[in-house]
Amino acid sequence: MILQVDDRILLKAAQDGDLDAFEALVRRHQPAVYRVALRMLGSEADAQDATQETFVRAWRALPRFRHDSVLTTWLYRIVTRRCLDLIAARRPTEALNDTQPDPRLDPVHTAEQRARLQAVTRAIAHLPGDQRAALILREFEGLSYDQVADALNTSVPAIKGRIHRARLAVIQHTRGWR
Amino acid sequence: MNANPRRLPCGAEIEQLVVQVADTEPAADPAHQAHCPYCQATLRRLRDAWEDVHTLATQPVPIPPTLTAQIMARVRVLARHATDSILLGHPRGETRISHALVGRVIQRVALTVPGVIFASARPIAHQPPDPRRLSVTIRLVVAYGPAIEALVQAVRAIIDRRVPALTGAKLTHIDITIEDIATPTD
Repeated sequence: MILQVDDRILLKAAQDGDLDAFEALVRRHQPAVYRVALRMLGSEADAQDATQETFVRAWRALPRFRHDSVLTTWLYRIVTRRCLDLIAARRPTEALNDTQPDPRLDPVHTAEQRARLQAVTRAIAHLPGDQRAALILREFEGLSYDQVADALNTSVPAIKGRIHRARLAVIQHTRGWR
Repeated sequence: MNANPRRLPCGAEIEQLVVQVADTEPAADPAHQAHCPYCQATLRRLRDAWEDVHTLATQPVPIPPTLTAQIMARVRVLARHATDSILLGHPRGETRISHALVGRVIQRVALTVPGVIFASARPIAHQPPDPRRLSVTIRLVVAYGPAIEALVQAVRAIIDRRVPALTGAKLTHIDITIEDIATPTD
Protein backbone atom coordinates (compact mmCIF):
# COMPACT_ATOMS: atom_id res chain seq x y z
CA MET A 1 0.00 0.00 0.00
CA ILE A 2 2.86 2.37 0.81
CA LEU A 3 4.11 1.97 -2.75
CA GLN A 4 1.08 3.90 -3.99
CA VAL A 5 1.62 6.84 -1.66
CA ASP A 6 2.82 10.08 -3.18
CA ASP A 7 6.40 11.24 -2.49
CA ARG A 8 5.07 14.36 -0.82
CA ILE A 9 3.17 12.38 1.80
CA LEU A 10 6.02 9.94 2.42
CA LEU A 11 8.34 12.91 2.87
CA LYS A 12 6.12 14.51 5.47
CA ALA A 13 5.88 11.20 7.30
CA ALA A 14 9.65 10.79 7.16
CA GLN A 15 10.06 14.32 8.51
CA ASP A 16 7.83 13.23 11.41
CA GLY A 17 10.28 10.42 12.13
CA ASP A 18 8.62 7.56 10.21
CA LEU A 19 11.56 5.42 9.07
CA ASP A 20 9.34 3.03 7.10
CA ALA A 21 8.22 6.01 5.01
CA PHE A 22 11.85 6.99 4.46
CA GLU A 23 12.69 3.44 3.44
CA ALA A 24 9.89 3.55 0.87
CA LEU A 25 11.45 6.71 -0.57
CA VAL A 26 14.84 4.99 -0.65
CA ARG A 27 13.46 2.01 -2.55
CA ARG A 28 11.68 4.26 -4.98
CA HIS A 29 14.58 6.59 -5.77
CA GLN A 30 17.75 4.61 -5.22
CA PRO A 31 17.80 3.23 -8.80
CA ALA A 32 18.13 6.74 -10.23
CA VAL A 33 20.65 7.82 -7.60
CA TYR A 34 22.74 4.68 -8.10
CA ARG A 35 22.67 5.05 -11.91
CA VAL A 36 23.98 8.60 -11.70
CA ALA A 37 26.67 7.63 -9.19
CA LEU A 38 27.78 4.70 -11.36
CA ARG A 39 28.01 6.84 -14.50
CA MET A 40 29.82 9.60 -12.64
CA LEU A 41 32.33 7.43 -10.76
CA GLY A 42 32.79 4.41 -13.03
CA SER A 43 33.02 2.00 -10.10
CA GLU A 44 30.25 -0.15 -8.61
CA ALA A 45 31.80 -0.01 -5.13
CA ASP A 46 32.20 3.77 -5.24
CA ALA A 47 28.68 4.13 -6.61
CA GLN A 48 27.25 2.09 -3.73
CA ASP A 49 29.12 4.25 -1.21
CA ALA A 50 27.98 7.45 -2.89
CA THR A 51 24.38 6.21 -2.98
CA GLN A 52 24.46 5.33 0.71
CA GLU A 53 25.97 8.70 1.54
CA THR A 54 23.33 10.49 -0.56
CA PHE A 55 20.45 8.99 1.37
CA VAL A 56 22.15 9.45 4.74
CA ARG A 57 22.64 13.13 3.90
CA ALA A 58 19.07 13.33 2.70
CA TRP A 59 17.83 11.91 5.99
CA ARG A 60 19.92 14.43 7.96
CA ALA A 61 18.65 17.29 5.80
CA LEU A 62 15.00 16.20 5.91
CA PRO A 63 14.02 18.86 8.46
CA ARG A 64 15.22 21.57 6.03
CA PHE A 65 13.56 20.14 2.91
CA ARG A 66 11.08 22.61 1.46
CA HIS A 67 8.01 21.04 -0.05
CA ASP A 68 8.03 23.47 -2.96
CA SER A 69 11.15 21.60 -4.18
CA VAL A 70 11.00 18.36 -6.16
CA LEU A 71 12.40 15.34 -4.32
CA THR A 72 14.09 13.81 -7.37
CA THR A 73 15.87 17.06 -8.23
CA TRP A 74 16.97 17.38 -4.61
CA LEU A 75 18.40 13.84 -4.62
CA TYR A 76 20.13 14.42 -7.94
CA ARG A 77 21.69 17.53 -6.45
CA ILE A 78 23.01 15.64 -3.43
CA VAL A 79 24.43 12.70 -5.41
CA THR A 80 26.10 14.85 -8.08
CA ARG A 81 27.66 17.06 -5.45
CA ARG A 82 28.92 13.99 -3.60
CA CYS A 83 30.32 12.48 -6.81
CA LEU A 84 31.98 15.75 -7.85
CA ASP A 85 33.67 15.95 -4.43
CA LEU A 86 34.94 12.39 -4.84
CA ILE A 87 36.14 13.04 -8.38
CA ALA A 88 37.98 16.17 -7.28
CA ALA A 89 39.61 14.31 -4.41
CA ARG A 90 41.06 11.45 -6.39
CA ARG A 91 42.62 10.55 -9.71
CA PRO A 92 40.22 9.59 -12.48
CA THR A 93 39.25 5.92 -12.39
CA GLU A 94 39.17 3.68 -15.41
CA ALA A 95 35.82 3.62 -17.11
CA LEU A 96 33.55 0.87 -15.90
CA ASN A 97 33.17 -2.02 -18.33
CA ASP A 98 29.52 -2.31 -17.47
CA THR A 99 28.17 -2.43 -20.99
CA GLN A 100 25.99 -5.42 -21.69
CA PRO A 101 25.53 -6.58 -25.28
CA ASP A 102 22.06 -6.53 -26.76
CA PRO A 103 21.06 -10.23 -26.60
CA ARG A 104 19.03 -9.82 -29.78
CA LEU A 105 22.18 -9.29 -31.85
CA ASP A 106 24.31 -12.07 -33.31
CA PRO A 107 27.72 -12.70 -31.68
CA VAL A 108 29.66 -10.66 -34.25
CA HIS A 109 27.53 -7.58 -33.73
CA THR A 110 27.50 -8.17 -29.98
CA ALA A 111 31.28 -7.89 -29.71
CA GLU A 112 31.30 -4.85 -31.98
CA GLN A 113 28.47 -3.16 -30.14
CA ARG A 114 30.09 -3.90 -26.77
CA ALA A 115 33.32 -2.25 -27.92
CA ARG A 116 31.45 0.82 -29.21
CA LEU A 117 29.49 1.20 -25.99
CA GLN A 118 32.68 0.86 -23.97
CA ALA A 119 34.17 3.63 -26.10
CA VAL A 120 31.24 5.87 -25.14
CA THR A 121 31.68 4.94 -21.46
CA ARG A 122 35.38 5.81 -21.64
CA ALA A 123 34.63 9.08 -23.38
CA ILE A 124 32.22 10.07 -20.60
CA ALA A 125 34.74 9.08 -17.93
CA HIS A 126 37.26 11.50 -19.47
CA LEU A 127 34.95 14.47 -19.24
CA PRO A 128 35.54 17.13 -16.56
CA GLY A 129 33.25 16.55 -13.59
CA ASP A 130 30.86 19.40 -14.28
CA GLN A 131 30.35 18.38 -17.93
CA ARG A 132 30.03 14.72 -16.94
CA ALA A 133 27.30 15.50 -14.42
CA ALA A 134 25.35 17.70 -16.84
CA LEU A 135 25.57 15.16 -19.67
CA ILE A 136 24.54 12.24 -17.46
CA LEU A 137 21.52 14.05 -16.05
CA ARG A 138 20.41 15.19 -19.51
CA GLU A 139 21.17 12.15 -21.70
CA PHE A 140 20.92 9.26 -19.23
CA GLU A 141 18.33 10.50 -16.75
CA GLY A 142 16.24 12.44 -19.25
CA LEU A 143 16.07 15.68 -17.29
CA SER A 144 15.11 18.89 -19.05
CA TYR A 145 17.68 21.71 -19.29
CA ASP A 146 15.80 23.54 -16.53
CA GLN A 147 15.88 20.50 -14.27
CA VAL A 148 19.59 19.92 -14.90
CA ALA A 149 20.31 23.57 -14.10
CA ASP A 150 18.28 23.26 -10.89
CA ALA A 151 20.03 20.06 -9.84
CA LEU A 152 23.48 21.53 -10.50
CA ASN A 153 22.56 24.92 -9.06
CA THR A 154 23.49 26.96 -12.10
CA SER A 155 21.86 28.74 -15.04
CA VAL A 156 20.28 27.16 -18.09
CA PRO A 157 22.72 28.89 -20.50
CA ALA A 158 25.64 27.55 -18.46
CA ILE A 159 24.17 24.06 -18.55
CA LYS A 160 23.58 24.19 -22.29
CA GLY A 161 27.20 25.22 -22.76
CA ARG A 162 28.47 22.35 -20.61
CA ILE A 163 26.26 19.81 -22.34
CA HIS A 164 27.30 21.01 -25.78
CA ARG A 165 30.99 20.73 -24.91
CA ALA A 166 30.41 17.30 -23.38
CA ARG A 167 28.50 16.06 -26.42
CA LEU A 168 31.22 17.26 -28.77
CA ALA A 169 33.91 15.65 -26.64
CA VAL A 170 32.08 12.31 -26.55
CA ILE A 171 31.47 12.39 -30.30
CA GLN A 172 35.08 13.27 -31.06
CA HIS A 173 36.38 10.66 -28.60
CA THR A 174 34.39 7.92 -30.28
CA ARG A 175 34.99 9.03 -33.85
CA GLY A 176 37.54 6.28 -34.27
CA TRP A 177 34.64 3.92 -34.70
CA ARG A 178 33.38 5.67 -37.76
CA MET B 1 35.07 18.42 -38.47
CA ASN B 2 36.81 21.51 -39.89
CA ALA B 3 39.37 23.89 -38.38
CA ASN B 4 36.64 26.27 -37.19
CA PRO B 5 35.09 24.28 -34.35
CA ARG B 6 31.86 26.24 -34.42
CA ARG B 7 30.73 26.25 -38.08
CA LEU B 8 30.78 24.06 -41.15
CA PRO B 9 32.16 25.49 -44.43
CA CYS B 10 28.56 26.27 -45.43
CA GLY B 11 28.15 28.41 -42.30
CA ALA B 12 25.86 26.04 -40.41
CA GLU B 13 26.51 26.04 -36.67
CA ILE B 14 27.75 22.69 -35.40
CA GLU B 15 26.06 23.22 -32.04
CA GLN B 16 22.69 23.48 -33.75
CA LEU B 17 23.30 20.24 -35.63
CA VAL B 18 24.30 18.50 -32.40
CA VAL B 19 21.15 19.78 -30.68
CA GLN B 20 19.10 18.69 -33.70
CA VAL B 21 20.42 15.12 -33.35
CA ALA B 22 20.69 14.79 -29.56
CA ASP B 23 17.47 16.63 -28.71
CA THR B 24 15.62 15.49 -31.88
CA GLU B 25 14.77 19.07 -32.72
CA PRO B 26 13.79 20.26 -36.20
CA ALA B 27 16.41 21.76 -38.48
CA ALA B 28 16.99 25.49 -38.09
CA ASP B 29 17.13 25.91 -41.90
CA PRO B 30 15.53 22.84 -43.49
CA ALA B 31 15.68 24.24 -47.02
CA HIS B 32 19.47 24.71 -46.81
CA GLN B 33 20.10 21.48 -44.96
CA ALA B 34 18.18 19.31 -47.42
CA HIS B 35 20.63 20.12 -50.22
CA CYS B 36 23.87 20.85 -48.35
CA PRO B 37 26.50 18.08 -48.55
CA TYR B 38 28.37 19.45 -45.51
CA CYS B 39 25.27 19.41 -43.33
CA GLN B 40 24.16 16.02 -44.60
CA ALA B 41 27.57 14.40 -44.03
CA THR B 42 27.89 15.92 -40.55
CA LEU B 43 24.39 14.87 -39.59
CA ARG B 44 25.12 11.29 -40.66
CA ARG B 45 28.26 11.20 -38.51
CA LEU B 46 26.49 12.78 -35.57
CA ARG B 47 23.57 10.36 -35.78
CA ASP B 48 25.93 7.36 -35.97
CA ALA B 49 27.87 8.56 -32.93
CA TRP B 50 24.77 9.51 -30.96
CA GLU B 51 23.08 6.16 -31.58
CA ASP B 52 25.62 4.53 -29.25
CA VAL B 53 25.00 7.11 -26.52
CA HIS B 54 21.28 6.47 -26.79
CA THR B 55 21.83 2.68 -26.68
CA LEU B 56 23.98 3.03 -23.56
CA ALA B 57 21.41 5.28 -21.92
CA THR B 58 18.61 2.77 -22.44
CA GLN B 59 20.53 -0.20 -21.02
CA PRO B 60 19.22 -1.27 -17.61
CA VAL B 61 21.57 -0.82 -14.65
CA PRO B 62 21.22 -3.62 -12.07
CA ILE B 63 20.85 -2.29 -8.54
CA PRO B 64 22.83 -4.18 -5.85
CA PRO B 65 20.20 -6.16 -3.93
CA THR B 66 21.58 -5.28 -0.49
CA LEU B 67 21.84 -1.52 -1.09
CA THR B 68 18.54 -0.57 0.54
CA ALA B 69 19.35 -2.63 3.62
CA GLN B 70 22.78 -0.98 3.89
CA ILE B 71 21.30 2.49 3.61
CA MET B 72 18.57 1.87 6.18
CA ALA B 73 21.01 0.25 8.63
CA ARG B 74 22.99 3.51 8.69
CA VAL B 75 19.89 5.70 8.88
CA ARG B 76 18.41 3.69 11.78
CA VAL B 77 21.63 4.06 13.78
CA LEU B 78 21.57 7.81 13.19
CA ALA B 79 17.91 7.98 14.17
CA ARG B 80 18.62 6.20 17.48
CA HIS B 81 21.47 8.57 18.30
CA ALA B 82 19.36 11.63 17.53
CA THR B 83 17.50 11.05 20.81
CA ASP B 84 20.52 11.63 23.06
CA SER B 85 23.03 13.58 20.99
CA ILE B 86 23.30 15.98 18.10
CA LEU B 87 24.89 14.90 14.86
CA LEU B 88 27.22 17.03 12.82
CA GLY B 89 27.83 15.62 9.37
CA HIS B 90 31.24 15.45 7.74
CA PRO B 91 32.29 14.10 4.34
CA ARG B 92 34.25 11.33 6.08
CA GLY B 93 31.96 10.41 8.95
CA GLU B 94 29.82 11.87 11.72
CA THR B 95 30.55 13.90 14.83
CA ARG B 96 28.26 13.31 17.80
CA ILE B 97 27.95 15.67 20.73
CA SER B 98 25.90 14.42 23.65
CA HIS B 99 22.96 16.46 24.83
CA ALA B 100 24.54 16.39 28.28
CA LEU B 101 27.61 18.16 26.95
CA VAL B 102 25.48 20.75 25.17
CA GLY B 103 23.74 21.30 28.51
CA ARG B 104 27.06 21.94 30.24
CA VAL B 105 28.02 24.44 27.59
CA ILE B 106 24.69 26.24 28.03
CA GLN B 107 25.24 26.31 31.78
CA ARG B 108 28.70 27.88 31.43
CA VAL B 109 27.48 30.42 28.89
CA ALA B 110 24.61 31.44 31.19
CA LEU B 111 27.06 31.91 34.07
CA THR B 112 28.98 34.51 32.07
CA VAL B 113 26.06 36.93 32.34
CA PRO B 114 26.63 39.36 35.24
CA GLY B 115 24.04 38.74 37.93
CA VAL B 116 23.67 35.01 37.29
CA ILE B 117 24.81 33.18 40.41
CA PHE B 118 23.82 29.64 39.53
CA ALA B 119 22.65 27.95 36.32
CA SER B 120 21.59 24.46 35.38
CA ALA B 121 20.48 23.33 31.95
CA ARG B 122 18.49 20.28 30.87
CA PRO B 123 18.47 19.64 27.14
CA ILE B 124 15.40 17.94 25.73
CA ALA B 125 15.46 15.93 22.50
CA HIS B 126 13.47 17.50 19.68
CA GLN B 127 10.27 15.77 18.63
CA PRO B 128 10.31 14.37 16.02
CA PRO B 129 13.96 13.36 16.41
CA ASP B 130 16.25 15.77 14.63
CA PRO B 131 20.00 15.56 14.12
CA ARG B 132 20.68 19.09 15.40
CA ARG B 133 17.64 20.55 17.12
CA LEU B 134 16.85 20.42 20.79
CA SER B 135 15.07 22.38 23.45
CA VAL B 136 16.49 23.34 26.83
CA THR B 137 15.11 24.12 30.26
CA ILE B 138 17.34 26.44 32.30
CA ARG B 139 17.09 27.12 35.99
CA LEU B 140 18.81 30.22 37.39
CA VAL B 141 19.63 31.76 40.70
CA VAL B 142 20.23 35.46 40.17
CA ALA B 143 21.63 38.26 42.25
CA TYR B 144 19.26 40.68 43.93
CA GLY B 145 19.38 44.09 42.29
CA PRO B 146 19.38 43.85 38.50
CA ALA B 147 16.00 43.81 36.79
CA ILE B 148 15.16 40.15 36.46
CA GLU B 149 13.48 40.41 33.06
CA ALA B 150 16.44 42.28 31.55
CA LEU B 151 18.82 39.72 33.03
CA VAL B 152 16.83 36.82 31.60
CA GLN B 153 16.79 38.52 28.17
CA ALA B 154 20.56 38.83 28.38
CA VAL B 155 20.83 35.11 29.16
CA ARG B 156 18.61 34.22 26.18
CA ALA B 157 20.57 36.48 23.85
CA ILE B 158 23.97 35.12 24.77
CA ILE B 159 22.77 31.53 24.59
CA ASP B 160 21.22 32.13 21.16
CA ARG B 161 24.46 33.71 19.98
CA ARG B 162 27.09 31.47 21.56
CA VAL B 163 25.69 27.96 21.90
CA PRO B 164 25.10 27.24 18.18
CA ALA B 165 28.55 28.57 17.37
CA LEU B 166 30.17 26.50 20.11
CA THR B 167 28.33 23.21 19.62
CA GLY B 168 26.46 23.19 16.31
CA ALA B 169 23.19 22.64 18.17
CA LYS B 170 20.07 24.51 17.08
CA LEU B 171 17.97 25.51 20.07
CA THR B 172 14.34 25.63 19.11
CA HIS B 173 12.96 26.38 22.56
CA ILE B 174 14.56 27.90 25.68
CA ASP B 175 12.54 27.81 28.90
CA ILE B 176 14.03 29.79 31.81
CA THR B 177 12.90 29.55 35.41
CA ILE B 178 14.25 31.88 38.11
CA GLU B 179 14.43 29.61 41.11
CA ASP B 180 15.81 32.03 43.67
CA ILE B 181 17.43 35.36 44.33
CA ALA B 182 20.76 35.56 46.11
CA THR B 183 21.71 38.54 48.22
CA PRO B 184 25.33 39.56 48.94
CA THR B 185 25.21 37.87 52.35
CA ASP B 186 24.01 34.47 50.87
